[in-house]
Amino acid sequence: MRDSILELSTEAPRPRVNTSRAGLIAVICLILLASLPLFRPPLFFLSLLISIFLFVSLTESWNLMGGYAGYISLGHVVFFSIGAYTTAVGMNVFGASPFLTAVPGGIIAGAVAAIVGYPVLRLKGAYFSISSLLMAVIFQLVFLNWTFVGGSTGLWYKLMPVSIGANRAIFYEVMLGIALLTTLVVRHVERSKFGAGLITLREDEDVARTIGINTAWLKLKAFILGSFFAGLAGGIYGYYLSFIQPDITFNINTSLLILMMAFFGGCMTWTGPLLGAVLLSLTNQLIVTFIGAEISRILYGLILILLMIFMPNGIVEFLRARRSPR
Amino acid sequence: MELTFLAESVISGVLLGGIYALLSVGFGLTWGTMQVLNISHAVFAVLGAYVAYWCFVKGGVDPLLSVPFLAFLLFLLGGAVYRVVIRPVTKARDTVMGSMVVSFGLAIVVENIMSGLWHPDPRILKPSYTDTSLFIGEMVIGKGPLIGFAMAIVAIALLYAFLHHTFTGKAVQATWQNPTGAVLVGINRDRVSLITFGLSIASAGVAGVAMALIYSFYPSVHNDWTLYVFLLTIVGGVGSIIGTALTGLLIGLIMGVCAAFLPFIWVNILLFALLLVILLFKPEGIFGL
Amino acid sequence: MKKFFVWAVLVLFLFVSGPALAQTGKPSGEPIKIGGSLGLTGVFAEQSKWIKGGYDAWVEEINQKGGLLGRPVKLIMYEDEGNTDKAVTFFERAITVDKVDLVFGGYPGTINVAIMPLCEKYGMVYISMGGHMKSFQQGYTYSFGSPPLMADWADIAMLGIVEDLIPKKDWPKSMALLTMNNVIGESTRRGLHGVAQKLGIKIVVDELYNLPLSDATPLVSKARAQRADIMCCLSSFDDDVMLTRAAKGMNYNPKLAFHSIAPAQPAWMKELGEDGNNAITFHWWNARLKYPGNDAINQAAKRMYNLPAAPTYFGFGYCWLKTLEVAVKGTGSLDNKKIRDYLRSRSFDFPYGMGVKFDEKGLPPPYAIVTQTTNGHNEILWPKDQATAKLAYPKPKWSTK
Repeated sequence: MRDSILELSTEAPRPRVNTSRAGLIAVICLILLASLPLFRPPLFFLSLLISIFLFVSLTESWNLMGGYAGYISLGHVVFFSIGAYTTAVGMNVFGASPFLTAVPGGIIAGAVAAIVGYPVLRLKGAYFSISSLLMAVIFQLVFLNWTFVGGSTGLWYKLMPVSIGANRAIFYEVMLGIALLTTLVVRHVERSKFGAGLITLREDEDVARTIGINTAWLKLKAFILGSFFAGLAGGIYGYYLSFIQPDITFNINTSLLILMMAFFGGCMTWTGPLLGAVLLSLTNQLIVTFIGAEISRILYGLILILLMIFMPNGIVEFLRARRSPR
Repeated sequence: MELTFLAESVISGVLLGGIYALLSVGFGLTWGTMQVLNISHAVFAVLGAYVAYWCFVKGGVDPLLSVPFLAFLLFLLGGAVYRVVIRPVTKARDTVMGSMVVSFGLAIVVENIMSGLWHPDPRILKPSYTDTSLFIGEMVIGKGPLIGFAMAIVAIALLYAFLHHTFTGKAVQATWQNPTGAVLVGINRDRVSLITFGLSIASAGVAGVAMALIYSFYPSVHNDWTLYVFLLTIVGGVGSIIGTALTGLLIGLIMGVCAAFLPFIWVNILLFALLLVILLFKPEGIFGL
Repeated sequence: MKKFFVWAVLVLFLFVSGPALAQTGKPSGEPIKIGGSLGLTGVFAEQSKWIKGGYDAWVEEINQKGGLLGRPVKLIMYEDEGNTDKAVTFFERAITVDKVDLVFGGYPGTINVAIMPLCEKYGMVYISMGGHMKSFQQGYTYSFGSPPLMADWADIAMLGIVEDLIPKKDWPKSMALLTMNNVIGESTRRGLHGVAQKLGIKIVVDELYNLPLSDATPLVSKARAQRADIMCCLSSFDDDVMLTRAAKGMNYNPKLAFHSIAPAQPAWMKELGEDGNNAITFHWWNARLKYPGNDAINQAAKRMYNLPAAPTYFGFGYCWLKTLEVAVKGTGSLDNKKIRDYLRSRSFDFPYGMGVKFDEKGLPPPYAIVTQTTNGHNEILWPKDQATAKLAYPKPKWSTK
């Protein structure tokens, strides 16, 4: 069943991968990453990776709609923010630790996605994108004017009563866990009937509906699932920053960056967003650290342009095209 | 008194809406014709504003006089950008996404070149007529917005005339309505795209001057302008110049009416909410094809 | 495909742990390192540029005078693009990788709010303009505003103007408040509400607007219709310019044009020219203050930019590092805990005020310096003993050239 649906798509057949070896290597890499704090590197590196893990979570969860279903959302930050605000309010009003309220934060984000998604997902293409952007702008304005969530002042989190080293290590492991969970779920979706349905939907939504796929429900499911993970990541990340405010959390540049990372890496598979997030973050970090100011930004922009010109379909596709025998 | 305030508010909004429309038409043009989503569109508007600024401040040339010059300059620049940056991307499977990424990078590059050259200090374009007004009874109409609006009308009209009454313009339309058909009748798609992109950037530059008559500007201000560019284009219907123009007027009308009757803090929220509702009910845009 | 992955992760791992391993055993080096980040590109670039100038001026001066504790000073400055997420990472880089001895203040307020708890955790003294009142009420002990940007003290400015500079018979009777919807706007507005009540001034217009402002006409039109004596533009640069130009455009001549901090930016007078005159604003440092240390600041600004007086944020940057200098010299050490305790234990004479004693929040006693823009200068109106000009009241009418 799955193979026949995939035949409808115009992708090159995936080369057979020795899954057990790949799995072993992945596990080793994960163990290395997870044990990093034990090596006591300068805490900066943990912070840098926390930021990267965040973008991996955001980009992977975005890709359910953006890559597989082909619905480019510019409002992913809304769900990130809802998660963050849930944990912040939870801490300020109920004194609850964000580690407990992050999952409810994700659930609330998912619920909002369900409500908002129902009408908005009926739109297609650019109209969906601009509606998601409008939604983001409206939410930002609402939060800016809502005193309960701190309005334009923002909300503070109480600092964890542990040393900074422990603080960073804890956030590191938790964000790594979230990034891992998100990536695994997205990978699972990609290989499931659900994912196949989404990809078919992307290829031709009308045809998909004709062969009996409940496109409306599939889209909504993907939207809710992606939003849940964005909210989950947001709930923890806000705590890490110790302060959130609408201009920080609803920043449209974050939405654009997620887009860049997904597409840059290649949005057709689960490995693309991961690669895109890691590579773009590292590249930006390297350039800005060692060069600085306007020149580093110009270089960063040039790299984006050049890489897009030479790899117009993203890195993953580019590499695959080079490897598969033609 | 209430009525004059309403009229004043609405007129002011509509004048601004017209200027936003000019800012957006070029964006819709490249999207509709070439499937190119040029996120850097507003950055070239800022560049146009800078050119007019320097001509005025250093050379004493009134911005209105420098408009033809900078339109031509930006047309050439647009052509160059098309050749070097945009054309390679149009060969990708997903041109829309590819052009988004590439223009995102381009926006960063151009913004920071401007910032490096001219510093991030805010600038104001202040020819003498911008801070005066027409007094019609109790109503006040700023001359700056009025002149900006006039510029917008002329520029949009010229663009429309080009597209509908010249051979090249009709070739542009043909390419956009039926790319394969256009090639079959012998239209050089590449040349058409080059001209379209150049025109788009030129219109952005002129719009930038109009914007600068009202707003202060600096390299990073294009971020604020881009939201409106997206909004007007899509709500108006991608590629429809009339649609974009009318949407601009509509937005101005909504803003004006809201400002007259509600606390100002609600204006933005209502505007965006209304636009969202419009999209939900008419997903192809108001005048979409 | 999988090979690529392995290499990617290995490279990532090495990138991360390599420098970590290389750091151990490296000598601590002679120069004193002061580190952090600013956003020299992005939306906060202009002010950050001035702050950096102030920092550079202080570094140059101290190195010429034999260094701090006899050692040269070096700034390690990263670029955060005005992005909170990046600022947090870069400050941590400065602290944990570059192992800086001291930390300098970031910009703007929202970034400071995130860095203050960070420095609290790392036990590094953080002297900056802060992130407004609430950020100083979180119980941090290592943060100081020296000087701070404290819009909550706007009431001091307005009270000073009306009570001290205007004869009672001429007191303004009505006020129009046009406020941007952010922390600075809100705090200022609250303060002015209190003042209006105290002085018996009627608030005839009270409009809040979201940034960015698209159209100033309806707002100013309301103020003009009500013939408000005081027009308060509690705005950022862009919207303040729009409001002011609209007022000129519709021939609205309030008796007093009270602004938030925008007219203190050099671009205000440079770009608006004559129309930018007689804007009353308030701040927490001014180049014309007669306190010790300001000559050095102004001379540096003249040398670096050929400006007649140092811009506000230039002075801010200089003052923040000057405060660090005073404490380091006072304790004779780079121990941040000692520096913190020293700063909290006595009063100081700074370029922005004499006899400054920090309270438990890390703030000096509430104050404000009221200025009036006049032909390219921010002349001081109040406090009276620092005044360099007289208040032009009522505000001269817009010139019609």
